[in-house]
Amino acid sequence: MIKVNSKDFEWEEGLTVQVLLDKKKYTFPKIFVTINGKHIDKEDFDTTLINDGDDVKVVHLLAGG
Amino acid sequence: MDVNNLKQSHKLLVEYKYEPAKLERGYTNKTLYINVGENRIESKDVPDSMKEKFIGGKGYGLKYLWDATSPETKWNDPENEIVIAGGPLCGITQYPGAGKSLVVTISPMTNIPIDSNVGGYFGPYLKFSGWDALEIQGKSQKDVIIYIDGNNGVIKVEEAPLEAIDGHVISEQLTEMYADSEEDKKNISVISAGTAADHANIGLLNFSFYDMRRKVARLKQAGRGGIGRVFRDKKIKAIVIKFKGTKGDLNKPANQSLINKAGIKLHKQIHDYDDVQCRMRQIGTANIIEVMDEYDLLPTHNYQYGGHPDTHKISSNVFVEKYITQGMPDGCWYGCSLSCAKAADHFELKTGPYKGHKVTIDGPEYENAAGLGSNCGIFDPEMILEGNFYCDTYGVDTISFGTICAFAMECYERGIIDKEVTGGLDLRFGNAEAQMELLHQMSRGEGFGALIGLGVRQLKEIFVKEHGADADFLNDIGMEQKGLEVSEYLPKESLAQQGGYGLTNKGPQHDEAWLIFMDMVNNQIPTFEDKAEALHYFPMFRTWFGLMGLCKLPWNDTTPPDNHLTDEPAKMPEHVQHYVNIYNGVTGMNIDKNQLILQSERVYNFQRIFNIRRGKGLRQHDAMPYRSMGPVTIEEYESRQERYDNQLRELLDYDPEGKTTEEKIKVMREYRVSQYEQLTDAVYKRRGWTPNGVPTAEHLRKIGMDLPELIDVIEKHI
Amino acid sequence: MKILVKKDDLCIGCGVCEEVCSTAYFKENNIEKSCIQVEKGEAKKINVCNQCGACIDICPVMVINRSTNGVVRISKKECVGCFMCVGFCPESAMRQHDDYIEPFKCIACGLCAKECPTGAIAVEDIEIETKEKL
Repeated sequence: MIKVNSKDFEWEEGLTVQVLLDKKKYTFPKIFVTINGKHIDKEDFDTTLINDGDDVKVVHLLAGG
Repeated sequence: MDVNNLKQSHKLLVEYKYEPAKLERGYTNKTLYINVGENRIESKDVPDSMKEKFIGGKGYGLKYLWDATSPETKWNDPENEIVIAGGPLCGITQYPGAGKSLVVTISPMTNIPIDSNVGGYFGPYLKFSGWDALEIQGKSQKDVIIYIDGNNGVIKVEEAPLEAIDGHVISEQLTEMYADSEEDKKNISVISAGTAADHANIGLLNFSFYDMRRKVARLKQAGRGGIGRVFRDKKIKAIVIKFKGTKGDLNKPANQSLINKAGIKLHKQIHDYDDVQCRMRQIGTANIIEVMDEYDLLPTHNYQYGGHPDTHKISSNVFVEKYITQGMPDGCWYGCSLSCAKAADHFELKTGPYKGHKVTIDGPEYENAAGLGSNCGIFDPEMILEGNFYCDTYGVDTISFGTICAFAMECYERGIIDKEVTGGLDLRFGNAEAQMELLHQMSRGEGFGALIGLGVRQLKEIFVKEHGADADFLNDIGMEQKGLEVSEYLPKESLAQQGGYGLTNKGPQHDEAWLIFMDMVNNQIPTFEDKAEALHYFPMFRTWFGLMGLCKLPWNDTTPPDNHLTDEPAKMPEHVQHYVNIYNGVTGMNIDKNQLILQSERVYNFQRIFNIRRGKGLRQHDAMPYRSMGPVTIEEYESRQERYDNQLRELLDYDPEGKTTEEKIKVMREYRVSQYEQLTDAVYKRRGWTPNGVPTAEHLRKIGMDLPELIDVIEKHI
Repeated sequence: MKILVKKDDLCIGCGVCEEVCSTAYFKENNIEKSCIQVEKGEAKKINVCNQCGACIDICPVMVINRSTNGVVRISKKECVGCFMCVGFCPESAMRQHDDYIEPFKCIACGLCAKECPTGAIAVEDIEIETKEKL
C-alpha cells in the first residue's frame, strides 16, 4: 500500500510514476510529483519506480477556473 | 457599410464639454455621471476617503450603487445604476490582462448587486479620457447612444433610432461611424447588448475591441447577472468611446521600471511555457473541456454527471483543428501575451436571422462549451459555435442560458413539462436545434424561449404553480442560488467548491474561488479549518483583480517553472509579488501581499453588507441546491455507485450492503448537507462573521471598514 | 535582405560595438542601451537581432514591419509599449530600457561593424532563402 495525496492506494510491483498517473487518470498538464517529499522531474516519470509504503503527492496546479 | 444614413437620424439630446483630467499614478480622481432620463451629465470629484476604502473598479461601482439606491430599489427603477470602472492598474500595457472593466448594477436575476469583469478597450479608454468611473442612471424614453470623445473632451447623448440592437451588428456600425479611417478603428470601443436583452433577464453587455488583423470588431462579455437587461431597460443602444494616442505610460505610474520588469518576466514565461502548460495562446480557456471530463467535473445533463463518452467530439483540439484561428496577438487589451481570445473566422451560420452569413465568432470559452454543450447533452462543435455566436449577439449570458436550458431539458425528460408547455419543442438532452430555437424565441420575446430568459428561479415557480411540479424536487435539481445560475463545474465531490459557489457575494460564479483540485484531487485542504482558510484567502485575493481592472487568468493559467518549490504553490507566490510590484509601481504606494488582501476584504465585506441591506446576504441565502452537493436521483447514485458506497463505508461507517439506493441516497444526503453546514460555520468564523453570516462590528473595525452606514445595517442583525 | 552577421569566435569582447551603437542612437555610452550586446565571459556570445521577424506577428498594433530592404523596424510613434516583442523574441535581441517606453532593436545599419577591430560582425545582404538556412 502507498499513499497518494494522503489516501491509500494499492501498490504493485514495477509501479512507476507514469503508471500511477495513468491508473489515477491524472492527465492534467500542470502537475508536479513528489515521493517522500522529493521532487520528481517530468522527464523521469516513466523511469521512476515507486516503492511499497511510499508517500506520493501528485499536486494539480489549478486554483481557478 | 454606409452609416451616414444612421448618423443623420441621430438627434442630439445633450452635449457636455470638459477638460480631460490628467492621469496621475493610475487615477484621474474624477468620475462621470450621466442621467439618461434627465439628459444630465456631470463630473464628480473622488474624495480621498473613497479612494482609500474602495480603491477602484468594482469598489467604486458598489460605492456609487449604494449611494444611488435605497434598499427597496428594483432593477428596473430609474435610480438603479450601471457603473463601469477600471481601477488604478487598468490601462497599463506591460503586464498581461490589465484592460478590464468592472460593471456593477442591481441585478434583475438576484435583486442584489452583480459585478462582472469584462475585457475590450472601453475601460482603458475611459480612464485615458479622464474618468475613473462612469455612472449611468435614469431611464430614457427613446433609444439613445452615449458618445464619449476622450481627446476633445466632448460627451453626447443622442437619440439613435436606426442602428441595430444585436451586438455584432451595432458594434460594426458604430466603429465604422465614429472612426475617421480604418487606422482609427482601434481607437473605438463600443458597449452594446442585443435583442434578447430587451426581454430576457439574463441579458449581457458586449464590450468591443477592434481586431486590426481580422478587420472586425471583436466582442468580450460582461456576462453574468443580467446587466444587459438593465442597459436595454434604460433604452441605451450603445455607449461609444473614442481615444487616440495610447502609449505605455498613460497611467503616469510612479515607477515604470517595476511594471516593465514584472511584465517582461511574465511575457518570457508565457513564451517559454504556455505551449506545455495551459495552451492559452492556442485555445484559451477551452483547454480544460477534456480535462474536466477526465476528472468527472464536466457538467453533463444538468449536472447529473461529470463526464460523457462523447466529450471527445467537443474537445479543445477539435476547435483548434477545424474552426479556430489564434496565436496572433489575440489579447483583449494591449500587452496581454496570454492572449486567450480566439475566433472562428468565416463561420457560416445555419439558423436564425443571420442564416447564411459568414461571421467571426469569439470563443468558445470553456464555459460556453460546457454550458451550451455537455450540460445540455449537446456534443456538436458547430452547434456550440452557433449557440455561442447567437448568445453574444443577442446579448445572452451563455452560462445562465446553458444552465437554464439544461434544467428545462431535465424537466422535459422527466415529464414535468411537455410539448404543450414548450410550444412543441422536443426538449430532449442533445437536441441542439431546439436549444437554438429557444435562443431565437428569446430574441423576439416569444414562446417558451421568453420564459427561459427569466432564469431557473422563476421557471421553478412557474412549473410548480402552473404545471403541478414537485417544488422540493425542482429546488434540488434547479442549479441556481440567490437567483443566479451556477457556472459550469460539477462541485459534488468537492465540499470546498460547494462553498466556493455557495458562500459568495453575487451568487454561484467560480470567480471567487475554484478549489476543486486543491480539495478533491490534491487533498491539500482536508479539514474544515483548511477549507475555511482557502475560502477566505482565495475570494479575497481574487476580489482584488476586480478592484484593479485586472484579469485573473495571468495569475494562474501560466506557472513559473520553479513554482512547485515555493511554500504555497497554489497561490503562485511569484505572481502575487508581481501584482504587489505593479500596484506599487503605478500608485507609488508601498503595500505588501497582506495589505493587498486587506484592500479586498474591505470591499468584500461592503458587498456582503450591501446584500444584507437589501434583505439578502444571510446564511439562508447561502444554501445550495442539493444537485451541487450530491446525487439527487437513483440514476445519479447508481452511475457512481462504487464511489458512493465506499464513501458510506469509509466516512460514515455505514454498510451499504443490502440497502436500497433510496436509503443510501438519504443517508448520503444527511451527511453531505451537514458537512456543508459545518463548512459554512467555519468559513463565517474565518471571515469575521456571525453564524448567520453577518460581518461583526468588531471585524469591520479591525479591517478599517466600520463606516456608520455599514454599522447601521449590521446592528439590526446582531 | 540586410542582416548583421556575427562570428562569435572572432569576438574579443572589447565593447566597441556597444559603445558605437548606444552613442549613435541614444547619445550615451551605455551597454544597456545598445542593440548589439556581447555576453562577457570565457566564450564571447554576440547577441543581436537576426531580422527573423517573429516580433512582427507579436505586435498588437502592427507597428513592427519589414522594410523594403528586409530590415525589421519599429514605428515608435504608434507603439503602445507593451514589450511583448521583448518577451517573445526568439533571440532575446529585442531591447528595452526603462528610460524609454518603446523597445528598440538592431536595424543592420552597420555602424558597429565598421568599428569592429576583428571583423566579428559585418552587414551582409542575403537572400531570404539563405537566411532561413542560417
